[in-house]
Amino acid sequence: MNRILAAVAVAVLMTGCAPTTRVVLLPQDGMQGAVDVQTRRGSAALEQPYAVASVYPGQSLSTGQMEPKAVQQRYRDVLAVQPAPAQRFTLYFELGGAHLTPESTDELTEVLSRASARPGGEIFVIGHTDTVGSTERNDALSLERALAIREMFIARGFDPARVEAIGRGERELIVPTADNVQEPRNRRAEIIVR
Amino acid sequence: MNKKMSCRMGTLGAICVLACSAALAQTTPAAAPPETAAESDRAHVVVTPGDARQGTFKTVQGEVTVVRGNARSAAVVGGGVLTTDRIVTGPNSAAALTLKDGTMLSLGPDSAIDLAQFQFDPTTHDGNLAISMMRGTLRVVTGLIAKLRPERVTVTTPTSVIGVRGTDFIVEENP
Repeated sequence: MNRILAAVAVAVLMTGCAPTTRVVLLPQDGMQGAVDVQTRRGSAALEQPYAVASVYPGQSLSTGQMEPKAVQQRYRDVLAVQPAPAQRFTLYFELGGAHLTPESTDELTEVLSRASARPGGEIFVIGHTDTVGSTERNDALSLERALAIREMFIARGFDPARVEAIGRGERELIVPTADNVQEPRNRRAEIIVR
Repeated sequence: MNKKMSCRMGTLGAICVLACSAALAQTTPAAAPPETAAESDRAHVVVTPGDARQGTFKTVQGEVTVVRGNARSAAVVGGGVLTTDRIVTGPNSAAALTLKDGTMLSLGPDSAIDLAQFQFDPTTHDGNLAISMMRGTLRVVTGLIAKLRPERVTVTTPTSVIGVRGTDFIVEENP
């Protein structure tokens, strides 16, 4: 069986029949990712770094493994334009309202300079609350806090189209608590600069 | 190429020329209608005031074009993309953009993709993403949508459907 497959592979190579589609899985920090490739003639799962699926005319599918160097060489153009990883900051609020603590007000300047230094830089302001109050109230409060910070960036000259305010309410607690518990570390805004 | 095929391509070409000139005739005198259409599209995707874009260009090298309906414009760093936009790179060109959920898309030379579908709710992280790839090379690093619901993120090429269970991969298409 293998011999037949090998013969087919050689025949394919000799007729110069290049794959129309290639999918290459790249390595990933932490948990390795995976992709499924499906054609009308079959499907394949790529689970190891640098695993490759090749789809030939007629939609036959084969899988293999590429050398890391070969991937870097073949795809250098597309690999070279990858944006820098996002940077994260956390700002904290005084109890109840939308006022930042003094330390966090100072940190706004740092966020602004980082965002301005990146090509096409964007700021995402994600407001979070503690568990005091209802879900609806906290969704509204977290968005209100995020919008207040967004206005500060705009007031300092940042392009409004590239700063977004998001309210996540009490969905992402830094310190898990029961409902209706005051927790200053949960009353915060996460800033993502990318 | 056989006779039948070249004949068919010839016919297609003629249809295309006709369609294109018809489209031009329609849009050149009145630039307002497509703009209005874009506005109404924006109405249901707006999340915060003044913010309609679904993604932002981070890198533009060489000749990179955004096709929105009948309008073509040169991509610029910091410029936005919307759902259903087509992004096209020329020879020796490349581009990178980030979508609202953090998905990063990088295109190599001679590439073309459609952002066929993108919906993202930043409060719940619910959404879906479908990219249709015509040619070239595309690197995808998936974002928050894939983290919550990987089955809602796909890349489709003329031969294949790529389903995502993790984050970082390249697709090369030579039609």
